[in-house]
Amino acid sequence: MAEIIIDGITYEFEGQHKLLQFILDQGKEVPFFCYHPSMSAPANCRQCMVKVGQYVKDRETGAYQLDDQGNREVRWFPKLQTSCTLDMTDGMVVHTQETDTLVQRAQKDTLEFILINHPLDCPICDQAGECPLQIQTYKYGPEGSRFEVKKVHKPKRIELGPRVILDAERCINCTRCVRFTDEISKTNQLTITRRGDKNYPITAPGEVFDDPYSMNTVDICPVGALTAADFRFKARVWEMNQTPGLDITNGKGVNVDLWTRDNLVLRITPRFNPDVNDHWMADQGRDVYRLYNENRVSRPSIRLEDTKGSMDDGVAQVKTSWTNALDTLAEVLHENKASTILTIGSPYASVEENYALQKFSSLKGLPSPFFTPHILEGSGDGFLLTDDQAPNTEGCRLLGLEEIDTEEYKKRIKGASVVLMLNDDPIGRDILKASDFKKPFVVVFATNHTDTAKAADLLIPTTCAAEHTASYVNVEGRIQRTFPAKETRYTNRRLDLEMSEGRLDRYGTTFDNWVTEENRIDCKPTWVSLSELSQRLGIPFSFEHARELVAELSSQHPAFEGISFEKMDEERGILLRRAELTT
Amino acid sequence: MSTPLDWKGYEPVLIPKISGLHQIDIYEKNGGYESLREVLLNKTKWPDAVSVVNEVKEANIRGRGGAGFNAGLKWSFMPPVDGGPRYLACNGDESEPGTFKDRKIFEYNPHLFIEGALIAAYAMSISTVYVYIRGEYRSFIQMMEKAVSDAYAKGYIGKNILGSGFSTEMVVHSGAGAYICGEETSLLESLEGKRGYPRVKPPFPAQRGLWGRPTTINNIETLANVPLVIKNGASWFKTIGAETHPGPVLYGISGHVNRPGVYELPSGMPILTLIQDVAGGMRNGKRIKAVIPGGSSTPVLRGDALEGVNMDADSLRQAGSMMGTAGMVIMDEDTDMVEVLWRISKFYHHESCGQCTPCREGTGWLEKILDKIMHGDGETRDLDLLLDVTTQMEGRTICALADAAAWPVRYTISRFREEFEARCRKSVYALA
Ligand SMILES: Cc1cc2nc3c(=O)[nH]c(=O)nc-3n(C[C@H](O)[C@H](O)[C@H](O)COP(=O)(O)O)c2cc1C
Ligand code: SF4
Ligand code: SF4
Ligand code: FES
Repeated sequence: MAEIIIDGITYEFEGQHKLLQFILDQGKEVPFFCYHPSMSAPANCRQCMVKVGQYVKDRETGAYQLDDQGNREVRWFPKLQTSCTLDMTDGMVVHTQETDTLVQRAQKDTLEFILINHPLDCPICDQAGECPLQIQTYKYGPEGSRFEVKKVHKPKRIELGPRVILDAERCINCTRCVRFTDEISKTNQLTITRRGDKNYPITAPGEVFDDPYSMNTVDICPVGALTAADFRFKARVWEMNQTPGLDITNGKGVNVDLWTRDNLVLRITPRFNPDVNDHWMADQGRDVYRLYNENRVSRPSIRLEDTKGSMDDGVAQVKTSWTNALDTLAEVLHENKASTILTIGSPYASVEENYALQKFSSLKGLPSPFFTPHILEGSGDGFLLTDDQAPNTEGCRLLGLEEIDTEEYKKRIKGASVVLMLNDDPIGRDILKASDFKKPFVVVFATNHTDTAKAADLLIPTTCAAEHTASYVNVEGRIQRTFPAKETRYTNRRLDLEMSEGRLDRYGTTFDNWVTEENRIDCKPTWVSLSELSQRLGIPFSFEHARELVAELSSQHPAFEGISFEKMDEERGILLRRAELTT
Repeated sequence: MSTPLDWKGYEPVLIPKISGLHQIDIYEKNGGYESLREVLLNKTKWPDAVSVVNEVKEANIRGRGGAGFNAGLKWSFMPPVDGGPRYLACNGDESEPGTFKDRKIFEYNPHLFIEGALIAAYAMSISTVYVYIRGEYRSFIQMMEKAVSDAYAKGYIGKNILGSGFSTEMVVHSGAGAYICGEETSLLESLEGKRGYPRVKPPFPAQRGLWGRPTTINNIETLANVPLVIKNGASWFKTIGAETHPGPVLYGISGHVNRPGVYELPSGMPILTLIQDVAGGMRNGKRIKAVIPGGSSTPVLRGDALEGVNMDADSLRQAGSMMGTAGMVIMDEDTDMVEVLWRISKFYHHESCGQCTPCREGTGWLEKILDKIMHGDGETRDLDLLLDVTTQMEGRTICALADAAAWPVRYTISRFREEFEARCRKSVYALA
């Protein structure tokens, strides 16, 4: 096997490797800006320079040549090399900044150059705290400045498009944003304009940077030159908690991080998963942070009798206690003939919620739940957007929920006495009209005040993907899970170990207040509400945590055999095979 | 490095004194396109393309675009023919300050260059030749377009040239005012219709050049020498001028001399002879203060250190400079070296493509410090800072523009330090 010696340590390798990526893969560090593992390497920042040489071998014998002291002789390249573009070869010897003052010097010099024209903006810059330039300057940069002349001035606050704003003075011209639109989203909307230190990225005159993936450029910009129109100046990064989650705006199952402060999701960024979304996500998936915060159903509501079947912005619904809501529901279920009670699953709800409903209806002797998928032909793009608008259509299928079309859906509602519906919006999706709810007693387990929620007779507030641990199966059949990112009224941080740590948890300072009582929604996971209902009905159905549902699915349901949250975490989701369902 | 004693009797061959030579029939009457005909049709003398490459390699035509690399050797780096397209890019961007010699070829002997490019195309099995000319040379671009279409009409370019079965196309392409597009890989980007950002090497153009295909880039003057080598043989070529840097050279002499202009003479001419005898001596009999021998990026030589320095790569290296493009800038005793250096630095600042950090930021910093010194606000520590900045730029960038910007600063300051110090206040505090 081929060998490379980096800072005196020998590593074996096979195949083609670029030196920088190899070094990073070993858990070592070389500072860099322009390199991005998913894009071409322009080698323009010159930050990743290292000293490289080659052991000298005797042409004939193939033996290493030794110097006077008996050490292997090294022939050094005359210039420092950019490690991001350098192909590794057998017998290569590398000195990084850890062992070589020349390399240290070069990296420091490059940082000095970058900083001479960079504004001293850090105190008011959104990127501060997660800025590669800031971090590397602290680690490898010069102290003080020798620059006593005038900085270059460039345009600021340029609206490149509806979602991305450019501060050209902060730009270090790494061309990551340009390469993103050239190579990843392929809209070619950005280019670099002008020359020399007047360089900056921009669209063609009159063009708008409305790329459906435009906000990825904000993530990969190594400085605060590109900011999200929606997020800028809202929060410092160190005030927020970062919790892994999933994009629930379509069927792709894009992995994301939810950034929260004071129980509000402030932004959503992509989380690396080479099997699903690499480093990227669509802009549409970022906007849903509002759904997690705003217009939420908090505390159960019940409709006044005389306004049935209308959708008057919920004024006819009045808040009620959990006790009253569940007592009412138990009574309704008791009073009506089981065969006329519909249970409706939802591709918008998690595997666990759908399974809980399935199990509940079977124990109660109700007809099994059905669902209708939400497919919009033509909205997929072959990249991260799918025709499927819901995050868990495949999960419903794997559970064996009956899949029906919208016509049939309409018909069934008409004949029902009671409808028990998981989080979905058939009225918003134009399948039903509010008047269709005239006859049946409609119960919705809802996260938000959707059109359907507004027309319901009983609203049971339920946790959203940012509040519960639950799994979703994407269009490829990959099951992945969420973590609770924000607390509900009933969350106990200390007991729910899946809650990400806040600064209070981590550092215990009493001055930190980003995890507060504020903005907690009065809602419960669907399976908890169903458990409380079951108790009233005398049914043996009791689940506190999604883990219990997953354990049951894992051991009892062939399609989900062997799954666990740990396995999903370790393997970045588990690919389930549909075939197992049919056998 | 023998001094060619007979330079006065030298008969120009690149731009011979024949009136109307730019017209194709006059060029033909004077033996024009005979070398091409020979190469394509005389199979006993030129059995194959490789025999042409070898002859050119043997002649040791050192690239006239600045780097001085043996043209035939460069041609031999082209990979074997694989059926896909291959390109020749002829570099007529001519933007290095002090350089104005390719224009003479465009104007007075365009067909010599075209013939050379066609022979090169044949030698490397190339089917498309691009002639990249700086945009400011509008009238020369038009002349070249005319020359190319005349050569097409006569069957020297196009399908089945002279019935030999060899075909190649030639396209004249105008630059758009960027010095950086003279850098070979940037030129390729520009030809592809992209921003003139130099490419990272490797891969080299011979492996992956224009549109990812094997490409050779040669300067116009380099290629103009090729028909002469074919006609008279490599051994003839090697007798002209300096042994290790042979052949005719177009010396572009500008500055404070009585007769500035482009002079064709053998390589290896003594600088003092060029100034005193060829260019008519210094204006108003002034003393020579400084000479930039080969375009603004080549290190300046002191006027009192010119004795025995000849215009060839070896002699200039010993003297601490480079041959570059042989675009010589002669400066007299009244010249303000601080201003000269500031103006050169302003040029490189303006022309840096901005792609890599040390060049993008360094060129501007150099100019700004020099501006400060020129206006009397400099301190002596600024001179050390200037030298530091050049050290931080050299050898750390994608292309050689950063070096080209750094060298003048390094050498002008080190060779004229007293003049710079005289303009600076004494520093009291060191820099951070
Ligand atoms: C910044 C820069 C500008 C250059 N400009 C020119 C030019 O205007 N003309 C030219 O022939 N070569 C120029 N060169 C040199 C070319 O890169 C290349 O070496 C040359 O065209 C090769 O031709 P030759 O081998 O025939 O000299 C430039 C190089 C650099 C780094
Ligand atoms: S805006 Fe950011 S990503 Fe784009 S070139 Fe500048 S620094 Fe790089
Ligand atoms: S050295 Fe200067 S001109 Fe050359 S690629 Fe880098 S920035 Fe551009
Ligand atoms: S990472 Fe920018 S040059 Fe290598």
